[in-house]
Amino acid sequence: MFAMNPMTTLSAIRKPGWRTWLPALFLMTVMSAGPALAALGGDVSSVQKDRARFKASLQLSTAAHHAVHELKAPTGTTIREYVTEDGRVFGVTWQGPWRPDLRQLLGTYFADFQQAAKAKRTGRNGPLTSRTARLVIEVSGHPRAFQGRAYVPELVPADVPEDEIQ
Amino acid sequence: MREPRVRRVLSPVLCMIAAAGCGDGSDGANAGNNRIAPPDGVNVVAIVVDSGPLGSNGAPVGYVNGAFVTVTVCVPGTADCQAIDHVLVDTGSSGLRLLANDGKAGGELSLRLPALEDVGRNAIAECYPFLDGFTWGQVQLADVRIGGETAGGIAIQVIGEAAYPVPDQCLGFGNDEDTLEGTSGLLANGILGVGTFVQDCGPACATAGSGNPGVYFACSSSALGGCVETAVAAGAQVSNPVARFATDDNGVIVELPPVPAGGAPTASGSLVFGIGTRSNNGLGGAVVIPVDDKGTLTTAFPAQGTRYPQSFIDSGSNGIYFLSGAATGIPTCTGTGGIERFYCPPSPIVLSAANQGAGGTPTSPVSFSIANANALFASNNVAFSNLGGENAGIPSLHLAAAFDWGLAFFFGRNVFTAIEGAATPGGTGPYFAY
Repeated sequence: MFAMNPMTTLSAIRKPGWRTWLPALFLMTVMSAGPALAALGGDVSSVQKDRARFKASLQLSTAAHHAVHELKAPTGTTIREYVTEDGRVFGVTWQGPWRPDLRQLLGTYFADFQQAAKAKRTGRNGPLTSRTARLVIEVSGHPRAFQGRAYVPELVPADVPEDEIQ
Repeated sequence: MREPRVRRVLSPVLCMIAAAGCGDGSDGANAGNNRIAPPDGVNVVAIVVDSGPLGSNGAPVGYVNGAFVTVTVCVPGTADCQAIDHVLVDTGSSGLRLLANDGKAGGELSLRLPALEDVGRNAIAECYPFLDGFTWGQVQLADVRIGGETAGGIAIQVIGEAAYPVPDQCLGFGNDEDTLEGTSGLLANGILGVGTFVQDCGPACATAGSGNPGVYFACSSSALGGCVETAVAAGAQVSNPVARFATDDNGVIVELPPVPAGGAPTASGSLVFGIGTRSNNGLGGAVVIPVDDKGTLTTAFPAQGTRYPQSFIDSGSNGIYFLSGAATGIPTCTGTGGIERFYCPPSPIVLSAANQGAGGTPTSPVSFSIANANALFASNNVAFSNLGGENAGIPSLHLAAAFDWGLAFFFGRNVFTAIEGAATPGGTGPYFAY
């Protein structure tokens, strides 16, 4: 399974997985009573916390075996949450001038993020790229232009290529 | 070998300045014929690349590829001043932040500066997000002197918790980078943000409401919960000191010598203020690469290949961070503790990329080298032009795939950073040029 292999091959990366599901994707704008979001690893139907916390608008895309909930926060930051068919958030991404509250977004995996940041080689002042069996997290950018993504390898549906989590 | 050619273009004058970088060649990627302004002009301050400030054990903290300057802060309008050494030059952020000498932070700043306050006499503090952590501390006012230039009465951040504890909301940004040493330590006595922005936050923090990212706080008590998110007018925010100089206020040049392929134990250069304002800071043949309102440009890699539009030039990053071993085919290092995210080719490799303005033009080729990071770190050197590692991202993404051109990129190149809205002979900022 791709997710268990931290050194994804070049050919796997270029696999046009997302293109195959893109045409099947449909969009709908979700009103405030729509599906709720949870933090990474959480249950999609549990809370509206992320959306409330980020005061964001929400757009839902669905593919064959997962859904993407896109939140646009008034701060200019876009957050995407990737949800399995059975309602688990398996990946999150963010991009924008300000980092979202990662404690909220990463949930129980926030401690993994903190640990990964501390475990960067001493003196490395640069992007965070951490891959463990529990969590893959990549953070890049600088103040006023941040981006990053995190996913839980064991929750990623087998038919979802890694590069779909974008 | 390319090295003899590089030797010939180095002038004796340059070699005197570029102490460690002379006589033994460079990595073959950077041209290495950049002229470095002597640090005796009014608009020049010396940069040293060394192992960083002294830690608690009396030895340098062990910084790799850190460009440091000395900054003097004064109580506004007085001669009550303190010079702070080893402040990191950061073209990736804006504003001066100094670690307090408060018994915990381990910084140098002990001068008592006046607080920035709101109309209700609440002290303003700031939770400023960096890549995977944040700096917390009070916003205070100082005359900031760097070289012969002064920014009078500007807001700076004093990192530390002596007056106010970190608010709960702030913790969502990650680790508290509030010490000199340790796993979340800055390894510097402060950060001198001389990036493309005038303020560290800008309009978003100037208005209350949901668009405010929650960077500034008003503190009414030292109890937990005593600081609440607030809006601060742009003009009162922590600002790029250069933008507040009386002259030479449109940007900076980071000038560092070439270093040998194996690195150097130290390197000396100059931070020059102003672009095209004096005889020592003209653009010359530098190509101006405009950046967007996020400070980003596009890097194409290889030069005619995939475009990565979230790329940036950042002296506060220490290496050249891009893509992944899987995507590039460059071996990553074996090991643990973070080394495995650096590149470790068996021998140094030269790569080509092209930086493009945010609007698509112009295009400026970049030749750069990547060496074996394990070998570099095993030496006693700390100045490397060929240190590189993985960044977030994979080739087909438009998100989280970017080049981070850190300090390694700067050796042997004079890199200009023009501030947003500032007029220069190369056009109005923001831009980078080299």
